[in-house]
Amino acid sequence: MELHQNWKAFFAEAGDISRFTSRFFVQGAKPRQEVAEFFRQCFIIGYKSLPLIGLTGFIMGLVLTMQIRPTMVSYGVQSQIPAMVGIAIVREIGPVITALIFAGKIGSSIGAELGSMKVTEQIDAMEVSGTNPYKYLVVTRVLACTLMLPVLVMLSDAISLYGSYLGVNIRGRTSFAFFFKVVFNNLDFSDVIPAFLKSFFFGFAVGVIGCYKGYNSNKGTEGVGYSANSAVVLSSVIVFIIDLIAVQITDILGLN
Amino acid sequence: MAKSTISNVKLGVFVTSGLAFLIFLLYMIGKKQNMFGSNFILKARFSNTQGLMQGGNVRFSGIEAGTVKAVNMINDTVIEVEMIVKSKMKRFIPKNAIASISTDGLMGDKLVNIIPVKEPAAFVDENDILTGKSTVNIADMLPRLQSTNNDVAIIAESLKRTVQQINNSTALWKILNDNTLPESLRQSLKNVHQTTIKAGEIVNDVQQMVAGVKQGNGSLGTILKDTTLAVNLNKALLKIQSVGDSADTLTAKINNMVQLIQDEVENGKGTANALLRDSVLVNKINNSMDNVEKGTQSFNENMEALKHTFLLKGYFRKQQKSKQSTLSNKVTLK
Amino acid sequence: MLVEEKTILTNKINSKQQPVVEIRHLKKSFGNNVVLDDFSIELKKGENLVVLGRSGSGKSVLIKCIIGLLKPDAGTIDVLGYDMLNLDEDELDKVRAKIGFLFQSNALYDSMTVRENLEFPLRRSWIAINQQQIDEMVLEALTNVDLAHTINMMPVELSGGMRKRIALARTLILKPDIILYDEPTTGLDPITGKEIDELIVAIQKKYNTASFIITHDINCVRLVADRVAVLMDGHCYAEGTFDELQKSTDSKVKQFFE
Repeated sequence: MELHQNWKAFFAEAGDISRFTSRFFVQGAKPRQEVAEFFRQCFIIGYKSLPLIGLTGFIMGLVLTMQIRPTMVSYGVQSQIPAMVGIAIVREIGPVITALIFAGKIGSSIGAELGSMKVTEQIDAMEVSGTNPYKYLVVTRVLACTLMLPVLVMLSDAISLYGSYLGVNIRGRTSFAFFFKVVFNNLDFSDVIPAFLKSFFFGFAVGVIGCYKGYNSNKGTEGVGYSANSAVVLSSVIVFIIDLIAVQITDILGLN
Repeated sequence: MAKSTISNVKLGVFVTSGLAFLIFLLYMIGKKQNMFGSNFILKARFSNTQGLMQGGNVRFSGIEAGTVKAVNMINDTVIEVEMIVKSKMKRFIPKNAIASISTDGLMGDKLVNIIPVKEPAAFVDENDILTGKSTVNIADMLPRLQSTNNDVAIIAESLKRTVQQINNSTALWKILNDNTLPESLRQSLKNVHQTTIKAGEIVNDVQQMVAGVKQGNGSLGTILKDTTLAVNLNKALLKIQSVGDSADTLTAKINNMVQLIQDEVENGKGTANALLRDSVLVNKINNSMDNVEKGTQSFNENMEALKHTFLLKGYFRKQQKSKQSTLSNKVTLK
Repeated sequence: MLVEEKTILTNKINSKQQPVVEIRHLKKSFGNNVVLDDFSIELKKGENLVVLGRSGSGKSVLIKCIIGLLKPDAGTIDVLGYDMLNLDEDELDKVRAKIGFLFQSNALYDSMTVRENLEFPLRRSWIAINQQQIDEMVLEALTNVDLAHTINMMPVELSGGMRKRIALARTLILKPDIILYDEPTTGLDPITGKEIDELIVAIQKKYNTASFIITHDINCVRLVADRVAVLMDGHCYAEGTFDELQKSTDSKVKQFFE
């Protein structure tokens, strides 16, 4: 019985999220775009996340290089470290780690912000003021997430590669130019483009889930906390699911 | 208002730098694939491209010169490889340069290597077709080695039979009176000689290949250096060579003897002389035959050892499978 | 004295016979919980109507239905001649611009300054107004509530009473014909609550607005009500002036006045 209830709740939520998402496309297409709010959100979601994402990206690149190094050296192919790290970062680690950190930072903040707005009737107040709160709050945030995450991923890739370069230079010595020469020589369009495209979907998922959880927050401070928490958990899981789907699609299309 | 202006600038810098890195990344990759800048098309024809793929590197004397644009089947034995080569390489590549396919990188990527030959020639033009040289392939060579070995064994067998005939006292008269013996012996020797030459050729090929591999042309080199395979292969080659050598000396010896017999027969010294020499001759021939046999045997052993090295396992297994499948086909046909 | 004045005023309004809000047979339930059941009431121009009821009796649901935040299950709501239940989005926004709503929790936007909070409905009303006019209107609204000095502060920096007054200023900035007050004095000390009550009356006099005031604070009712309706069991249990209801012998009505 309980299991049955759980499944029912699961599908009810899946359906709710789908409807919430379809509202994004319906509302987003309608005129009177909230341009100013969109740019404000881009600034908050994109620019303000850069220090955190840059830091994690840098450490990721550095650590990955240092971890891989002994194995590569034992096979006598330490010259291929930049190639291997480069491909790993650009194809998978850059987009996914960035999306996860992004989900942690932005998903929770959107969940909490919209949740508390919901609880303190700010969303109702907006609606009463002749503003479509879905459009003003959700469309702008989801759009900002969708467009800003790929930019963050690109910058994170760059910073990670720099971290990796420093990681190589801790034990060995490689010139900056040579390091990046090896990296780029081993990269292909099919490494960069699918990774770049999938980060749009990651951003969209984080935005939608964060907004959904906040928008449907329960009354009370506990509800807000729950919204923020479940937004992070669910969007992280969805990032992985999208990643799984993305790798299947690139595989089918023969892009690897 | 001022606050919002500052944030706009920051946002602009943020987005621009992100996109700039993306464009830079794509540009670098595009540059690598020679999508930008001036290029020209060169072609080369091969009978076997060994898995060369679109986007593979093209090198001229080891220098990056371009990438493979397409690999097309012309007919059942000819494959044309279309290459995009940097224009600045145009004035270095002669028309008679030879294109070969070799292996590069950890993953064994195939690449086209264009190598100039000593004879002078004009430089290439757009859409020129270079001569393609298919490099020796271990897998292709092994059957040839084996057939040579079989030949040697058969000849050795027939030689032995001749010698036994000579040795056989009941046949002695026949031999003494038979002028065709030297002829048939000579024929056998010719066969042995040919086989030896053939074996020598193969040995050279294999040695060349091993040398190439050892020079570190590709991943195979690194793997071979670390394993005992190279040693084994070398040993095998030495043995093959020694078979060849002993076959050579054998040929020479028999040749001598035949000459002797013939001389004596022709000089009218008759069969008596020949008979006098009989024991020496027979012993000599017998010794040589033993040598040949030993050589053949050790050659066979080495072939067996080769079969068990991991690199060639796949090849022999395939061969065995195909044998089995033809066998089973026959069975089912029955 | 005060009561007499109010009676005169009420009569004057009644003589106009001009209901701005007309609610008929309203029904609303959440699951099995029936909150409003056949509720009917009228609000006339310039009138302060207090809806009195216990917590959870559906008072907030009533005014949220009026402004269209909740959809009733049955019944009709007529605001300024518009059928609120059958409007498209644009028309609804137009009608809403004429209705002010003071939320129980004030609903000030935390991320914006007081000025931005007040500008928000102005910019949203899609009336072509230039920056100078906006500044003037913001200042006027703030002066009305005596808080002109807080213009660049954030809502969190203000006290509860100040926040309520800012919220009221925001509600008033579009000069609405109808104001819906959701428990305006709840959570405030009696003195501040009284200030707010006086403000409500002052606004009514200044702009001749009609107001729905949802409350269970009897002091508030005494000060602001022209007419009182008692909401009980989902329908209008009793209706009359404050004095009439105070004198009522009905035990259920009486308990509010004890």
